[in-house]
Amino acid sequence: MLLLLPQALVDGILIGGVFITIAIGFSLAFGVMHIIDLAVGEWIMLGAFLGFYLTQWTNIEPLLFLPVVFAAFGIIGYFLQPVIFRVISGIKGDPVLMGLVFTFGLALIFKGTGLTIFGFYSHSIPSVFSAGSISIEIGNFYLTIPIMRFVGLAYAIIITIMLQYLLKKSNFGLAVRALAQNREASGLMGINPKKTSSYVYAIYVGISAMTGVLIGSIFSLSAQMGARYTALSFFVVVLAGMGYLAGVPWAAFLLGLIQSFFLIYFNPGYTLIAVFSILYVVLLISPKGLFGRGW
Amino acid sequence: MKRNIFFVFVVALLLVLPQFAGARDFFKVGVITSLSGPLATGGNVTKYGYDMWANTVNSHGGIEIQGKKYKVQLFYSDAQSEPSQAASGAERLATQEKVDFVLGPYSSGATLGAAPVLEKYKIPMITGSAESPLIWKQKFYYTFGTIPPVNFTGAGAIKTLAQLKPAPKKAVILGSNDAFSKSTAETFKEASEKAGIKVLKFSIVPQGQDLTPFMSAVKVLRPDFIGFGGHDDELINLVKALHQIDYTPKALLMHYGVTEPAFIEALGKDAEYVFGGSVWTGSLHTKSDILWKDAKSYFEDARKAFGIDVDYTHAGSTAAGIAFQAALQKINAAPPLKMEAREALIKALEDLDITTFYGRVNFATEGQFYHANVGLDPLTIQIQNGKVTLVGPENYAEAKPWYPMKPWKER
Repeated sequence: MLLLLPQALVDGILIGGVFITIAIGFSLAFGVMHIIDLAVGEWIMLGAFLGFYLTQWTNIEPLLFLPVVFAAFGIIGYFLQPVIFRVISGIKGDPVLMGLVFTFGLALIFKGTGLTIFGFYSHSIPSVFSAGSISIEIGNFYLTIPIMRFVGLAYAIIITIMLQYLLKKSNFGLAVRALAQNREASGLMGINPKKTSSYVYAIYVGISAMTGVLIGSIFSLSAQMGARYTALSFFVVVLAGMGYLAGVPWAAFLLGLIQSFFLIYFNPGYTLIAVFSILYVVLLISPKGLFGRGW
Repeated sequence: MKRNIFFVFVVALLLVLPQFAGARDFFKVGVITSLSGPLATGGNVTKYGYDMWANTVNSHGGIEIQGKKYKVQLFYSDAQSEPSQAASGAERLATQEKVDFVLGPYSSGATLGAAPVLEKYKIPMITGSAESPLIWKQKFYYTFGTIPPVNFTGAGAIKTLAQLKPAPKKAVILGSNDAFSKSTAETFKEASEKAGIKVLKFSIVPQGQDLTPFMSAVKVLRPDFIGFGGHDDELINLVKALHQIDYTPKALLMHYGVTEPAFIEALGKDAEYVFGGSVWTGSLHTKSDILWKDAKSYFEDARKAFGIDVDYTHAGSTAAGIAFQAALQKINAAPPLKMEAREALIKALEDLDITTFYGRVNFATEGQFYHANVGLDPLTIQIQNGKVTLVGPENYAEAKPWYPMKPWKER
């Protein structure tokens, strides 16, 4: 069984790559605006469908549409953020709770609209990368790396590095970090909180929608797929520490490895129990996530 | 003041009167199915099947009872892919809508949620799309089903596989963790062992689980066939996972979902060679004098109405309506159905033995298949040239099974 160890490690990291793509935008949105966006799965679903139709109409590789999908949904996110801001900044009601309720409503609207427009059947986005894999077979030793998953991991790493660079090395990132620390004080320092929040929300929605295209190429897509990915991104972000962006990759890899090892070495039926148990234990010991740096 | 009291009295009278009005000239039919949630695909297919029955019956003027025709009106309840919501829906249909009978949910889990509630209110239900044997083991008196349970049909596909040459000797079988999928996997396992096929690995996996690591481990075992019990998108994801790790077993067997048009549309060439279990296809030779003369005419009507190639879930749901229709005509029961009429309806359903476009409908009255339809033969289908093709048993086969599977890269 030790022969399967490299495979379990590789699969865990590749699953972790998918988890990063799902959760990174969600973590950013929470870290800056303190919005628990329950519509994250629906943004992924809508992005996946845009990628699906663009591929169907043009017969071009879906991953080439990633910038188009990012731009389209970024614009939507930019104009939606002021509405969310208005909801969470009212006199009555807890802002986090109001954001939660509002985005839950958004998720329901998107899901219902998706079912009406796209129908209830599952689809798939064909990609040239879906067909290939790197296989190493020496005697009883097997190692398979699906190219599509590898592309997913590369995408996750690139997005993470770009976000880190944007936040740590640019003036915009400085403004975002200031905003995340203290909204009022950042405004006094000349930062436009509304506009900066709109940009952040646009980036988050754009990244989530792009992730949808990737998800649709690796798995199937359907109008009712969103809830699964909302739950997944929530697990990853809670484990990483709410809003702690740098923790997301590690949390994602940890969850990916747990899943992979349980599926290969133990009873696959206990995979979810294992994931929940680890989440529970980590939160019990460190309520602010793996690194104690969450909100 | 007096005027106000008079106004309140009139409104109250208007609200109360319909309760005592008694007779109505249409049947109130409850429909519980998953129109949203992860099982929305099958749930909506089921709804299409029920709609097709209702629309066709109404286009004929309704159900004829002693010379008078009564139309049917459907009252929907969304089970949201959750047994608890199916139970709430059943409660609402029974207490608020006061339906005469119910066309039951897609998915065995939702059926298991709704059935006890309908037992409480003594309302007959026929589910057109639930296949888990767990339902029939409960021996619900008011619940029937037109699709035979998977332990009745699933073994048929294994028999077809066992007759292939060279016969498969090793298998890996897995199922998703829900009532139907688990039963499917257990049936595959039991039937494989009976057929002398060694089951190398048997696992029940969480619903919606990414199965790539599991399949990577299976690849090392090199089974001759993989059998999987799951729902539509899970089947698509499994085929994609196998393609992504570049592993082609000699045969791939699934059950519900392979016959859905989305399976072929989503997977294209990768859908080819996949085996599935079924009880009905549009090309099946059936004869009937109720609403549709045969399977082909139903298939074509459904294609005109919905623009899709329908499968056995769609047909089984329509057949559920037909079963109620035939039983009501047998006992001459006009709406609304009182308690005695509903009891008589149960007896009529138990005695029912009719041939429809879907095939024979005959509910078992005892044993492990209690109230499930045992009038149909299990069929094995395979996707060949983008079409659902009957490949077994021999007396039903339209083509020979394609075996072994052509590697993904050579398609």
